[in-house]
Amino acid sequence: MFDQLALLGSGLVSTFEPLNFSMILIGLSIGILAGALPGITMLNAIVLVLPFTYLMGIVPSLLLMTSVYCGGVFGGSITGILFNIPGDPMNVPTTWEGYQLNKKGFVSKALGMAIMCSAIGGFLSAVIMTVASPLFAKVALSFSTCEYFAVVFLGLASVVVIGTRSIGSAFISLFIGMLLGTVGMDDIYGAARFTFGSRIMETGISFTTVLIGIFAIGEVLDQLSVKGKQEIISRLRPKTKLPSLKDLWNLRNTILRGLGIGVVIGAIPGTGATVASFISYGVEKQVSKHPEKFGTGVWEGLAASETAVNGSTGGAMIPLLTLGIPGSGATAVMMGAFLLHGIQPGPLLFAKSPESVYTIFAGMLVCNLIMILAGLVTAKFFSELMRVPEDMLSAFIISFCLLGAFALRNDMSDVWFMVIFGIIGYFMRRFDIPSAPMILGLILGPLAERYFITSIIGAGNDFTIFFRRPMSGTIMVISLALLIMPFIRGLIKKGKKRLEEEA
Amino acid sequence: MTPDPAEKIANRYSGFKVKPLIGPLLIFIAAVYFYVLAGSMDENPMPGQVGPAFWPRLILILLMASCVLKALEFYLAFGKGIADMGVESAPPDVSVSKLIAMIILVLAVVPGMEILGFALANFIFLILFIRIAGMRKLPSLIVTSLLGTIFLLYLFGKIVYLPLPKGDWIFNDLTIFIYRLLYII
Repeated sequence: MFDQLALLGSGLVSTFEPLNFSMILIGLSIGILAGALPGITMLNAIVLVLPFTYLMGIVPSLLLMTSVYCGGVFGGSITGILFNIPGDPMNVPTTWEGYQLNKKGFVSKALGMAIMCSAIGGFLSAVIMTVASPLFAKVALSFSTCEYFAVVFLGLASVVVIGTRSIGSAFISLFIGMLLGTVGMDDIYGAARFTFGSRIMETGISFTTVLIGIFAIGEVLDQLSVKGKQEIISRLRPKTKLPSLKDLWNLRNTILRGLGIGVVIGAIPGTGATVASFISYGVEKQVSKHPEKFGTGVWEGLAASETAVNGSTGGAMIPLLTLGIPGSGATAVMMGAFLLHGIQPGPLLFAKSPESVYTIFAGMLVCNLIMILAGLVTAKFFSELMRVPEDMLSAFIISFCLLGAFALRNDMSDVWFMVIFGIIGYFMRRFDIPSAPMILGLILGPLAERYFITSIIGAGNDFTIFFRRPMSGTIMVISLALLIMPFIRGLIKKGKKRLEEEA
Repeated sequence: MTPDPAEKIANRYSGFKVKPLIGPLLIFIAAVYFYVLAGSMDENPMPGQVGPAFWPRLILILLMASCVLKALEFYLAFGKGIADMGVESAPPDVSVSKLIAMIILVLAVVPGMEILGFALANFIFLILFIRIAGMRKLPSLIVTSLLGTIFLLYLFGKIVYLPLPKGDWIFNDLTIFIYRLLYII
């Protein structure tokens, strides 16, 4: 323990060396900007900075990439809250609540809350990562595809809590999303599915294009087509207002739950911040005393998803550093940086170069603290855009979306998909069909399929395999309980009403 | 006098509307079509395994079940006299002509980017879209669209190094000329 503290102390000293510290500042700025721009993901930004690390030592390289990572997962929430455009899929739950809070006139506080929750989640997850790395790694190592499927299934089951008034509509939307996720070449058998002979369809439908289309284009069309519309969102420049200690104290349970979910889910390879964000939001809605208010601008929803997203950053580093298993695309690129410098991540890393490891730990701690400042500056920059007239801003949002969709693969087919799903998104809004479950299905559907089919093949077509393993069985039971919860809640309500009537 | 049970039921559902059920019904029919279509891809390369059609078929069955659930929800809610199933609430009035114009423009800008190139297509798109959205002053429209397009060209062409579409035929040469003029290439 004392050895760990001593190493962390020397790591902190190393972090404040001019080169290392400037890497943190640069990385955070790049990450937040990239995360905030739709279509340019945090992963793109990490890949973009990778070539620059060739010239540096391992510590500044990893600090740069870690800062891009931490900043990137937060950045998407700024545009989500301000313009209803989540920079990344992981920021979708934040957008649901944040944008509604913006409409209610709480934009400044919503931005501040997002910044604080991100920083708290990231900082505490870095602390947990430092202390409990080996333990988490041990648990994650025992996971098979059955457990991975169970975790993804839990994410999908959260649709009943993120759904709207109608469970039927939420399920329809979810399964349409999952069906869209099957379009293209099948990962396991290599068969073309629902491609209709088109080469464009073979590559599948990227969830980012659907996401940008539904949330941005759909929103723009919805806002501008209303007759005699009053300006709902104030065009004044919002100032970011950090929440008071009392506000944070009131949300302490939400933040702790979000943190726990973020760290645990982040530590499971293949899941990551997006799954953590959806599950955290779902759990928060489930435990809330007023779940019906979720989606209309609820602080708990915003805090839960933001804490979980940044909480997952520390978690995702655990399997990378202790096992050499990257838990997400971003950590996979970081693993590339390790290998570029001739270092093999894994248990031996702690023995061979503990200074590097603890400098990374210290870097993440510092980085999450500085993120409050960086977040305030970046939010101010984006807030300036709020002063632009809506008709002009909307046109530029569409231009950005066109470029964002094109930037994904430098392919015009993604732009077509984005525009088409934007129009579909508009009509979904008009007919009160929730779009969120569709996005969830499209993101998690392919993951669920991969883990499900792999598990089934391994078990010789035995479908009970998911319930026979203790860990996956427990998660599956929790998921099923989550699924039937609304029906049970409905029955209890009905029973109470009947009792009241009789009384 | 107690009413006849059949009459009671008839009265209860006399105002039952079929319109809200059209959506789930259409999705149900589409799901059946895709289920049949999935059968044609069932070329299982590994005998004894579930095959590539298993997963989509499972989803389609669940989708069909969800449509039934939705119809059931509506039926039960109607029976209880609950009108609010997301179909009865009146959405705000929409300017149909404006909406159609915006949709056409958003659809047209994609082939526009391929033929005219991003620079020209985006410039024209911005002018037309902002005009449709409500701005009337032509000089402001042109200046905003021009400056906005130049900013995007620099950001994505020069900083992000995104190979933006340059267009076909003469427009390709025109885009390259614009890029040279702006020192992007």
